[in-house]
Amino acid sequence: MKKKLATKVLSLILTGIMMASVTACGSGADSSSAGSSATQKVADPASDAGTAESTDAAPAEAAVPGEPFKIGVLVSDATSAEALGRRHYLEDYIAKAYNMVFVYSDELGDSAGEKAAIETMITNNCKAILSESSFDRPAQIEQCEAAGVYYAVGSGALDAEQYETYKGYTYYVGSVGPSDATEFETGYQMAKYYLDQGVRNFAIFGGATVYRNSMHVNRVAGMLKAMVDAGGEGASYQGMTDPGAIIGQLMADGEAKTGAIGDVTLSGYLGGYDMDDAWFAKGAEMVQAPGVEVLLAVGSGSDFFGTATNGTDVKIASVDAYAQDYYEAMANGSLDYLAGKFSAYDGPVFMALYRAVNGNPLRDPEGNAPAFDIGYWISTSAEGCKEMLDLDGDIDHPVWTMEELNALYDADYAAFEAFVGDYAFDRIR
Amino acid sequence: MKVKNLLLNIAPLIGLLILIAGYFVIGRINDINVAYGLKTIVNQSVVVAVVATGAVFIYTLGAFDISLGASTAVSALMAGIVYLKTESVGLMFLTAVCVAVLVSLLNSVLAGVFHLPVFVTTIAMLSVLNALALLLLNLGGTGSEIKVPQAAVKSLDTLWFKLLVLGAYFLFCFFLFDFTPIGRRQKFLGGNPLCAKLTGISLNRYSVIAFVICGLGVGLGAFLSIVYAPTLTRNTASSVGMDVIIAIVFGGMPVSGGARSRIYAAVIGAFSMSFLSQIMVMLNLNSGVGQMVKAAIFLLVVFIAAGERKMKTLPR
Repeated sequence: MKKKLATKVLSLILTGIMMASVTACGSGADSSSAGSSATQKVADPASDAGTAESTDAAPAEAAVPGEPFKIGVLVSDATSAEALGRRHYLEDYIAKAYNMVFVYSDELGDSAGEKAAIETMITNNCKAILSESSFDRPAQIEQCEAAGVYYAVGSGALDAEQYETYKGYTYYVGSVGPSDATEFETGYQMAKYYLDQGVRNFAIFGGATVYRNSMHVNRVAGMLKAMVDAGGEGASYQGMTDPGAIIGQLMADGEAKTGAIGDVTLSGYLGGYDMDDAWFAKGAEMVQAPGVEVLLAVGSGSDFFGTATNGTDVKIASVDAYAQDYYEAMANGSLDYLAGKFSAYDGPVFMALYRAVNGNPLRDPEGNAPAFDIGYWISTSAEGCKEMLDLDGDIDHPVWTMEELNALYDADYAAFEAFVGDYAFDRIR
Repeated sequence: MKVKNLLLNIAPLIGLLILIAGYFVIGRINDINVAYGLKTIVNQSVVVAVVATGAVFIYTLGAFDISLGASTAVSALMAGIVYLKTESVGLMFLTAVCVAVLVSLLNSVLAGVFHLPVFVTTIAMLSVLNALALLLLNLGGTGSEIKVPQAAVKSLDTLWFKLLVLGAYFLFCFFLFDFTPIGRRQKFLGGNPLCAKLTGISLNRYSVIAFVICGLGVGLGAFLSIVYAPTLTRNTASSVGMDVIIAIVFGGMPVSGGARSRIYAAVIGAFSMSFLSQIMVMLNLNSGVGQMVKAAIFLLVVFIAAGERKMKTLPR
């Protein structure tokens, strides 16, 4: 009996130690993990600043124009280079510069998760929501409007119909991200880059086109339109030459159909993100098919298909973000073209939220919430990629600094729009 | 001994009360929006509470259904498709309930016909339902989602409606479990199936009854899921299956079922989990740490419950 009691006590002690240990771990540096829809990580710049005194100085000495508050950030992707880069900028630069607190959601998987995360954020006194998750944006906007919490779309945009519906909402602050037209142009320029070099045989990785994701659909449509334009007289995609018709067909099919587009050939197409053995085998088969010269990817082509193209002459072009992995991929030849976002993408949208919460909302001349368009940095060489990566990764002097953002605090719509539109790498460096 | 038994019986309730007290104290210190937080807790608990309350009937038999989350998802997706075809919320509700009951029945019949442990049949059903969910998304939606218009269910997305559904279903289950032979015989079957069989109680019959009642809960949970978030994807209700198991154990339900099963365990467990999650957020514990703390508490609860039971369980 005593032995049993001792075992029980010992087990309880061990359980207690386990709990104490994990709790202690959690109360320390917590910069790497995200919270779930119901349990979120809070980045506390005040405490961070205290512990970082001997290393990093405060990002800027400029006066903060408004009062600090908490912003909830909804993310459906917590681990990609793009997501990590933007989070790094918000937590390690903006939070310190403006004494802000960013409450990150876990990697959200559906609209119920988004709704639960917003509820938890509002409960914890977040005054604004920055959404980088798009399972149900209308529901997010309605929820924030009802709760009186400001809401903005980061690194994305509402579609035209949604924008018309919500542009006049009091608490809808607006969006800063690539519009559908920019996405189309990004795909177009990517394909054109190779078509201009004489490439005539392509494969496309269409990603979320199968889910009718407008961002990916527009990128694929841009690629196809470039092929139509370069395909010679009478070239068409499935009998279509008009961008709108191509987009409509992709939306209907959920994929691009392979075949001849004039004298250009689309030899292979793969969509989705199944990521199982069969999917990767299909991808390898696609890029290794006879004649394929370039794989145009709406997402990270080198991550998924870099191994399959090893030892071949097939080049990969991707759309993603500036990260060390992509520089290395470019340096070792597994990536040839990168249209990438940079980490400070969320700077202007943060300022839009900051203004709104501080009683100084930004509206267009008609009194509507703004929808600012922003594109990508393009690199076609390892050297170019490295240059952009170095600028993007400098957290002490990021692409958009506190001083520049402060200038937007009282800027009118036109000045704000001009600032966001002036993102070109050559101008910023 | 009586006091000890009483304390053990009400320990989950005491735990919930402590969590509620902790929520208010820490909430006050952190100056959170308590009223909104309570609404959040109800919203985040109610689906799990409803599904878990039905699942208590299965757990009481000593069985274990791992496919409840997938069943909730498929029922919701089917209901969503029916709404898009008919624009009738009533038909959507009926579809959710009927599909869930049918899936549940299929589980119990498979187990009965092939004389397999319920756990095994529900593992197979889990795979089938996950595949079916993808198929439904392709058939009835865009491939990634089925979108029921928010306006269609907005009037139902209220605390009162959700609490009404939970309350009505709970009372229904409470009555069956504690005031009819169904509950008593199920406890008997869970506690000692051999003895129950020798007294003429049919395991198959009461399995079917348990699964039908559980299916009803799954159907209600599916409907509430649509009301809460009408854009349905492959991830809809994906966490419900695991949350149900955790909630039931948190609520003090013995994992082996039997006479000590309690119908209220599910509700107590579901709300305890939500309060605990909110406390984790207030304490700035990121989710990884929060999950580990919850896991540790989970082990602790099972350890205490199992330790108390070891010497008392009848031979099976």
